[in-house]
Amino acid sequence: MSVSKWIGGAVVAVGLLAGGQTATAQEAGGTFVYIVQPEPPSLASYLSTSGPIGLVAPKIYDGLFDYDNDLNIVPALAESYEVSNDGKTVTFNLRQGVSWHDGEPFTSADVQFTVMEVLKKVHPRGPNSFREVTSIDTPDAHTAIFNLENPAPYMLRALSGYESPIVPKHLLEGQDPRSAPLANNPVGTGAYKFVEWKKGQYVRLDKNENYWRPGLPYLDRIVGRFIPDASTRTAAMENGEVMYGAYGAIPNIDAVRLRDMDGISVTTDGYSMINPMSLIEFDTTEAPFDNPAIRQAISMALDREFLIENIWFGYGKPATSALSTNFSATGLYKEGLPNYPANADIEAAKALLDEAGFKPDSDGVRAKAVLDLIPYGEDWRRAGEYMKQALGDVGIELELRYEDVPTWLKRVYADYDFAMNVNYFYQLPDPVLGVHRHYGTDQIRQGTHFVNSTRYSNPKLDSLLAAGAMEADAAKRSEIYGDIQKILAEDMPVVNLFEMQFLTVYNDKLKDHATSALGAYGPFERAWLAQ
Amino acid sequence: MASFWKLYRRNYSAVLGLVILALVIVVAFAAPLMYPDDPFRLAGKSMSPPGEAGFLLGSDSLGRDVAAGIAHGAKTSLLIGLLATLVAVVAGVFMGALAGYYGGWVDDLLMRTTEMFQTIPSFIFAILLVAIMKPSIESIVIAIAVVSWPAVARLVRGEFLSLKNREFVQAGHTLGMSDARIILAEILPNCLSPIIVIGSLMVATAILIESGLAFLGLGDPNIMSWGFQIGAGRTLLRSAWWVCTFPGIAILITVLAINLVGEGLNDALNPRLRERS
Repeated sequence: MSVSKWIGGAVVAVGLLAGGQTATAQEAGGTFVYIVQPEPPSLASYLSTSGPIGLVAPKIYDGLFDYDNDLNIVPALAESYEVSNDGKTVTFNLRQGVSWHDGEPFTSADVQFTVMEVLKKVHPRGPNSFREVTSIDTPDAHTAIFNLENPAPYMLRALSGYESPIVPKHLLEGQDPRSAPLANNPVGTGAYKFVEWKKGQYVRLDKNENYWRPGLPYLDRIVGRFIPDASTRTAAMENGEVMYGAYGAIPNIDAVRLRDMDGISVTTDGYSMINPMSLIEFDTTEAPFDNPAIRQAISMALDREFLIENIWFGYGKPATSALSTNFSATGLYKEGLPNYPANADIEAAKALLDEAGFKPDSDGVRAKAVLDLIPYGEDWRRAGEYMKQALGDVGIELELRYEDVPTWLKRVYADYDFAMNVNYFYQLPDPVLGVHRHYGTDQIRQGTHFVNSTRYSNPKLDSLLAAGAMEADAAKRSEIYGDIQKILAEDMPVVNLFEMQFLTVYNDKLKDHATSALGAYGPFERAWLAQ
Repeated sequence: MASFWKLYRRNYSAVLGLVILALVIVVAFAAPLMYPDDPFRLAGKSMSPPGEAGFLLGSDSLGRDVAAGIAHGAKTSLLIGLLATLVAVVAGVFMGALAGYYGGWVDDLLMRTTEMFQTIPSFIFAILLVAIMKPSIESIVIAIAVVSWPAVARLVRGEFLSLKNREFVQAGHTLGMSDARIILAEILPNCLSPIIVIGSLMVATAILIESGLAFLGLGDPNIMSWGFQIGAGRTLLRSAWWVCTFPGIAILITVLAINLVGEGLNDALNPRLRERS
């Protein structure tokens, strides 16, 4: 017997969800203006996972699936799928009658080309998401059969239009995808067609009249505006010039103020696929951070609640493990681990340091280090300033370093010229996709960004990670990840700080914008404007 | 000296400037006594308004004392202002003196170089320099000096051009003095007054550039300065006005005071303005 999952029922569920929010019917028409911050380097979501690309490209490109807010699979380009008994063959039944924005028909050859030639080769996370895929068979134009080396249940979580956009074979074939002109003139199958990109000002998308979801989209046009200055963005939101800003486009302090205004709302929904975690990475190959005790002491000495309250205005949740509590839905998160206090425990930290032989000198200094800070804005500088004080109290003297993005990335991921680095990682909807890259020995990939920069290597952990990736049984998988989290809480190659909560600020006239688990990185096919 | 002071004090605003500047210097030196703790210390409740929770001028988003920051920041601002000016003046005098004294191809070479620096907008250039070197107190001093010296060089060159054919210089030549001695001991002392004036005004500009850099997040993250405070409080402007208002006032007053002093020095040292009432 083959395990078969028909997901047609989910369409009805989503339809109800979308319609049930308001009593009035959806109104068609209107131009929706939202903030894209900063201006994206290109619109090639198949090459880069950079945030601003994600704000635009998924409205143009579809994935095989979308996901609802409870992370259930919603059919998109794939109408249904089947997984074979041994888990090594996944068959996707593709939607018929779908065409690209340029009129060419969408077929299984596009899927095969996208995964094998583009995502597996040039996408930052694709090689990991599709690592078990050895080949894709296309018996007919609407069937794609993925042949896997080992079972890869997590792959089904990585098929959204943001994470794995399906791109047109006829526009990329025979070219280097890294330099193909498609990057700035995207052609997809999505709800909106790319029309114009005015550098420094806006990107404009118009309604796709031939969209495969009948009757959608409601909006005639969407315009993503680039507004570099934070206070101008807030003012634009306040006076209704823009209707939507996500991923911190409106600083938390202003969002808190706008929240109390009529006609503007704030939500933390729409980030569960992204699952961001802030953390400190250490160079575990050199003193003093080669000793797990000092890393544990740092975890004890930092007041996670203070960081969340005073710098992120209450939006966040103290980390309690290497995995986010968002993984409790799938049973992978483990609670009750040591070394993760919500409030600082200075005495425990000092005791740990004493025990490990980090004795204070005459100035009370036990160790010195440079703390690198992720150069993504003021909040992180404030966090660094706080850490300098807090760790100074237990005798770890820090010097802060704040550089530009390319220099910082090179220092941490190419030159390994750092001791301690504040950063954040997207844990994504499955640990295999977002968390393994941080800890596995095979993820020590010098020069690749956002992988294992600590060079922590533990064979026991590696075998657990490999087992966790392949395990299909939920109970066994939960046990494996419990063990993984236990090891990581003891060894702490990375001190996880808090589960970040990004804010989306939106005008109440905008409806049904949060129907996808991808939130701002979603397709926005059901969004509409109340007049 | 006495007559200089007599001339200087005729300008009341210059005296006022001097008093304010003296006050700022006193605060800078007294900071460790007034606020012995690290100004980065999280001293209490965050975003307390002035006068509350024991904060004279309020606290910022992390609960740091704004008043302590201003007191400690005074030292940073003055130190950077003076150091950068010193470097710029030494470099400018060196280049200007050689160009003015020797003329010819030396002049051409040095002045073309100077012009090259002058064509780049100075603040943008400073941002670029600090961004290339990592933000630290040394890189900021270097950046400010690099964008400031051309003005000094041009001024000194002009002075040297007009002085080098005067009788006392020619007398020096006849006595067989070396070029170095003529430049340093004869001509330079005679063009000190404009150098002092331009130098004093340059301190004010340097403080402004440093604040601007820190405001843009290019300050030394380990050192408290006024620009840093404003940068840190900028996003809070609509909910905690005091975080950047008070350091802003400190910059305003200090820069104004230095400008008044510079103006007073100009009046007192410039013979043509001496009779101005």
